[in-house]
Amino acid sequence: MSSAIIDVCGRQVHIFESGDGAPLLYLHGFADVHSVKDNWLPFHEKLAQRARLIAPAHPGCARTDENKDIDTIEDVVFHYLEVLDALDLRTFDLIGTCVGGWIAAELAVRHPEKIRRLVLIGAAGLFVPGALIGDVFMMAQPEFGSRYASLREMFFSSADERNALDMFPDGKGELEDEVRRYQMLRFSSRVGFKPPYFYNYALRNRLHRISSPTQIIWGETDRFVPRSHGDTYAKLIPHAEIKSIAGTGHSVQVEKPQETAQLILDFLIA
Amino acid sequence: MMNPVQLFCWHFMAYPYLAKDFDEKESSGWVTVPNRLWDDKRSRGLYQEYIDQLVYADQLGFDGMVLNEHHQNIYGLMPSPNLIAAALTQNTSRGKIIILGNLLPLHLNPMRVAEEYAMLDQMSNGRLIAGFAPGGGPETFNYDVPSANTREKFWEAADLIVRSWTEDGPFAHEGRYFPLRYVNLWPKPLQKPFPPVWIPGSRSPSTMTEVAKRGYCYFLSSRSHGGETHRAQQEFAAVLEKHGDRYHPFRFGILMSTYVAETDQQAREECEEGVWYFLKNCLKGHLRREGRQLTYGPGVPYIPAAAWREYLKGYTPGRKLLGDVENWDELEASQSIIVGSAETVTRRIQNLIEKAKVGNLLIQFQLGNMPDHLARKSMKLFAEQVAPALRHASLKQFSEEYPDRNFASPAVEGMH
Repeated sequence: MSSAIIDVCGRQVHIFESGDGAPLLYLHGFADVHSVKDNWLPFHEKLAQRARLIAPAHPGCARTDENKDIDTIEDVVFHYLEVLDALDLRTFDLIGTCVGGWIAAELAVRHPEKIRRLVLIGAAGLFVPGALIGDVFMMAQPEFGSRYASLREMFFSSADERNALDMFPDGKGELEDEVRRYQMLRFSSRVGFKPPYFYNYALRNRLHRISSPTQIIWGETDRFVPRSHGDTYAKLIPHAEIKSIAGTGHSVQVEKPQETAQLILDFLIA
Repeated sequence: MMNPVQLFCWHFMAYPYLAKDFDEKESSGWVTVPNRLWDDKRSRGLYQEYIDQLVYADQLGFDGMVLNEHHQNIYGLMPSPNLIAAALTQNTSRGKIIILGNLLPLHLNPMRVAEEYAMLDQMSNGRLIAGFAPGGGPETFNYDVPSANTREKFWEAADLIVRSWTEDGPFAHEGRYFPLRYVNLWPKPLQKPFPPVWIPGSRSPSTMTEVAKRGYCYFLSSRSHGGETHRAQQEFAAVLEKHGDRYHPFRFGILMSTYVAETDQQAREECEEGVWYFLKNCLKGHLRREGRQLTYGPGVPYIPAAAWREYLKGYTPGRKLLGDVENWDELEASQSIIVGSAETVTRRIQNLIEKAKVGNLLIQFQLGNMPDHLARKSMKLFAEQVAPALRHASLKQFSEEYPDRNFASPAVEGMH
């Protein structure tokens, strides 16, 4: 794996890259590379065996410069257009998980021609009446000054899930993991805190513009982004299919990495 | 002429009618505390009782009355302190009216704060002390205010307000967050060039620096007064020096709580119920680790990541906060709530003033569900038997330590 800092219009962007083949851009979520871990997870390693996997850290995450002028998701999309220019990526496959899925969908409605195939995993971004996206910011305020069980429960099938305990431990975790978690919360609060939480009201009426074949993957018991959001994406994106992964919560790619990566590879190569 | 320590009466206006099992049943006193717990019948007249206590403080000779803004909680029933301040302009004539403060990022437009403060200054005949605060964890959720740029927004709003008070309008404000084409306040405040400005902080160097740059008064929002208060004073003094300014006692204020009775024993007996109600109920969700702690945590990421890394290095998971004290001795050691006879309270506060060289004491008398007659008795004893000694000793201390300074009106001295 290469871990590199590239210059994008005078700002630093931290990018992981591995593998050969068709370019596959990966936009991360909460329980993920760059937002907790400084390494690929097993899910990414499997993808990188079959594609050129490129994973930038969002503005303010890992070693990507913070950008105080990011107020809305529109600003993030524009940031990624500049990243794409810097990487000279003209057409590519795109995977987004969670907040990264929201960014991916916003990018796809603006530039459908750039995207060969699109994968959204537990993607935020939509307003679905009666199905609010989870209150991650309040759950990130600890209980008893140090307990994050409700955050784990929101991101995983259970608060005791092995990966959940590793990525969002009680007490004080490994310092740099803690800092990355904080950076991701800080970045996502810029675009996702208001309106509460993580949606752009206008997005659903723009989804018809997406022209690429689209795979939508959802955890069986996602308590962060309710399943009805996945169904709405599947209904409003013209060439979309939705797949559910049994025994997982929100962080499908962490909880069932092999199964999820295989499902995606089958879709991308089909 | 030198002035003695300024003694202000602070009221939080707690909700006093929670059931005995509140702590057992509810996870927080803030943001999510169910509002069905409000008892309409018993609460009738509650605001009047609290306002009358503040009016009584004015009659007893306190230097002023302190109000502040909180939302959706049982700790303080003042979502709009400006409304209470307006009532005080009609019922008091002497003491300063300190609002500490309006939470600027929660206001859609800072002009509203500029206008209401200007009105209050006019209505009170120039008695307003204008506090600006950014709000904290709970308020972020109350009004759905994204936290990442809070401080930048806060200082733009604060500067715009002061500019609107001092510069003739109309002018255009070309701001990042609050751009306005026509700023033209009618009326401006009565006090010239503008009312004293106080800013609360919790020892963050950046807040101290911004306060120093502008010549405002720094108010330490901590409730515990062990060694930290003295250190905060030294830090602030150093920051002032760095900006070509000099520390004096009236640039600095602290919040404390007290209860005075005839004897130490009687004081403890009379206030204990109110004190525990305050610590266990009012602080739950704020300065207690029990339940969900909204004030500190990564869910309200208002400081840059580098500052968070530094914070984590010194942070002990699950550390005790003020509301977690388990017994009276621990509470005494925190020096947050000073309880005793006039003699005891005088000695302890005097000790605090001597060490922290603080000229503004903002004192909470009514605690939790403390009944009206006890709060008033304590205020009266304080005014008659504690305040004179504190004034006398502090005047001597300040004159010796700051001999070349002249303070005609200490509350106003904060501004340049």
